[in-house]
Amino acid sequence: MSTPVTEIITVTEIIARCQALFDDLNFTYAREWKAAVPGRIVVGYMPFYVPRELIHAAGGLPLGVLGGGEQLEVIQGDAYYQSYICRIPRSTIELGVTNRLDFVDAMLFPSICDVIRNLSGMWKIMFPKVRSRYFDVPQNFSDGVGGTFYIHELTELREMLAEASGRAVTDAAIRASIALYNENRALVREVYAFRARQPWKAPSAEVYLLMRAGMVLAVEEHSRMLREYLDAAAAADRPRRDNSRVVVTGAFCEQPPLNLIKSIELSGCYIVDDDFMLVNRWEQSDVSLDGDPVANLAQAYLHNSANTSAKYEPDPAQKGLYLVAAVKRTRAEGVIFASPSFCDPALLERPMLQRVLAAHDIPFIAFKYAENSGQMQPIREQAGTFADSIKLWSTP
Amino acid sequence: MTRTAGIDVGTGAVKTVIFETDGAATNWLIKRVDRVRQRDPYQLATETYHTALEELGMRHGDLDYVATTGEGESLSFHTGHFYSMTTHARGAIYLDPEARGALDVGALHGRAIRMDGRGKVLSYKMTSQCASGSGQFLENISRYLGIAQDEIGALSKQGTSPEKVSGICAVLAETDVINMVSRGISAANILRGIHSSMADRLAKLIKTIGSVDGVVLMTGGLAHDEGLVAAMQEAMRQEKVQWPVRNHPDSIYAGAIGAALWGAFRHEKLAREEALEQAA
Repeated sequence: MSTPVTEIITVTEIIARCQALFDDLNFTYAREWKAAVPGRIVVGYMPFYVPRELIHAAGGLPLGVLGGGEQLEVIQGDAYYQSYICRIPRSTIELGVTNRLDFVDAMLFPSICDVIRNLSGMWKIMFPKVRSRYFDVPQNFSDGVGGTFYIHELTELREMLAEASGRAVTDAAIRASIALYNENRALVREVYAFRARQPWKAPSAEVYLLMRAGMVLAVEEHSRMLREYLDAAAAADRPRRDNSRVVVTGAFCEQPPLNLIKSIELSGCYIVDDDFMLVNRWEQSDVSLDGDPVANLAQAYLHNSANTSAKYEPDPAQKGLYLVAAVKRTRAEGVIFASPSFCDPALLERPMLQRVLAAHDIPFIAFKYAENSGQMQPIREQAGTFADSIKLWSTP
Repeated sequence: MTRTAGIDVGTGAVKTVIFETDGAATNWLIKRVDRVRQRDPYQLATETYHTALEELGMRHGDLDYVATTGEGESLSFHTGHFYSMTTHARGAIYLDPEARGALDVGALHGRAIRMDGRGKVLSYKMTSQCASGSGQFLENISRYLGIAQDEIGALSKQGTSPEKVSGICAVLAETDVINMVSRGISAANILRGIHSSMADRLAKLIKTIGSVDGVVLMTGGLAHDEGLVAAMQEAMRQEKVQWPVRNHPDSIYAGAIGAALWGAFRHEKLAREEALEQAA
């Protein structure tokens, strides 16, 4: 009698798939997804957050556009920006003008900084056939002011997506999408919690690639992948090192090169929390499925979303405490501020966050990068000596 | 009693030591240095480590902590990795208790380190990318001149009128040497000129790390080059730096010693914090 064969997917296979998606700057998966069923739309979005549920409910594929990374040579993109502007808008323009995004039906530019806001205007001029929208988010967190504003913003986006897809975006469809994204976010939280518990079993470069895959894949497929990874990583036999546990923060927009993440870990640090892709874990617990789904999305943004330098904090006493909480939650021993050069939201906030950490006796270091940074030796030296100082001189 | 190994994977050589420590008492059980010579440094480090264990009649499991330094972070069997600044500082103090500065001159880099009496790094500076101040450069030049490496120091000290060599760029320095050979300059004066040029750079590097309250111990492979040590002492006089510079017969092991001793320190710290499983 034959026994049923269960296909066991290894960590290596999962990460190889993620790496292929990461390397593919022609977005073949998204192109094929769109071509598979007539009427499907693909909606691109930039960091740090958009309500992907609305895109999904419109029958669309949300496609995270996180710049060109280290592989893309920026030639034309540089002509549009001064030298003191970060690299992500240049490489995004390069992706656009080289037709790598020619299948994208709409582009969303979240309210993160002036550079991205200006990019939304440029996109409208450069690609007039693409529906481009500067997606504004509330800076006032009272329901009556920020909530009303945000529901209006979400409603406008819902209408735009309905026009783009040629189908109504119903409440029932939004609820179904919220349920799928709730499940996805719960799995993302589980991966982060698993890594914080056993960082030697979930190297940060793997977790990064896994989360990057969520920028491209359909949510259902990404959730399946996360489940498979959790099983495979738990089963993998990997050596445990005497590394320092660190939180990496400030990298929520332009992404660091993959080698930078590997270098931090190689230098003796376990990354136990990060803010590389906040959109995957923006809502910190499930969005309600009862009642008005748009109002529920607005409620989640106002009262149940992640904190970052790109999100306004009205109470000065609360400034930076989320970072202290992340250190405590993950039992981290220090914080690495890794931010893109010229990133106003990250770099202007950094001294304030560092003051809060110093007040709580949490050690930290800081450095800058660009998405195409190639020289990792200084990063390794800095992160390595930081890890040494924690291991040898910190008190528990 | 804590048993630890320190493995320093350098560009030119792999250094391995094993220590027993009991509180402040240390017992250095074994030391090995193996030149890389175009072999895979990780394979060499693995073989050297196991040979050292075998010679002591030990197994990997008998050690409490295997610490790597240099380029050793990718070795699969290490417990923890420490950076070169951290390990050379500790190794220098072990070799010379008066040391409060370390000058690590290896095949690729030069590093000046200032530390306190516990071996805690207070400041450090590295040479820039260019290889003209490195052991690799010196090795290349000695090969061009047909001189064995262990003859370099003695020959350099025989030089009476050293020729100036570019201290900025290895390519320019090599061009300088070619010109000197064609002009009939003696090998002794060429080597002394190279040593002086390297020492000038390193003395300036030491000046940038702040006031050293003690001796600067030269560590790394080039610490055994008596010609460079003499040139360093001369350069320090010329730069009016008062801290004495000297070497030690075991200077090449400083990184590995520091790694092993920090491994023991870390093992005991984790035991005190009841977090020993972290270094399993």
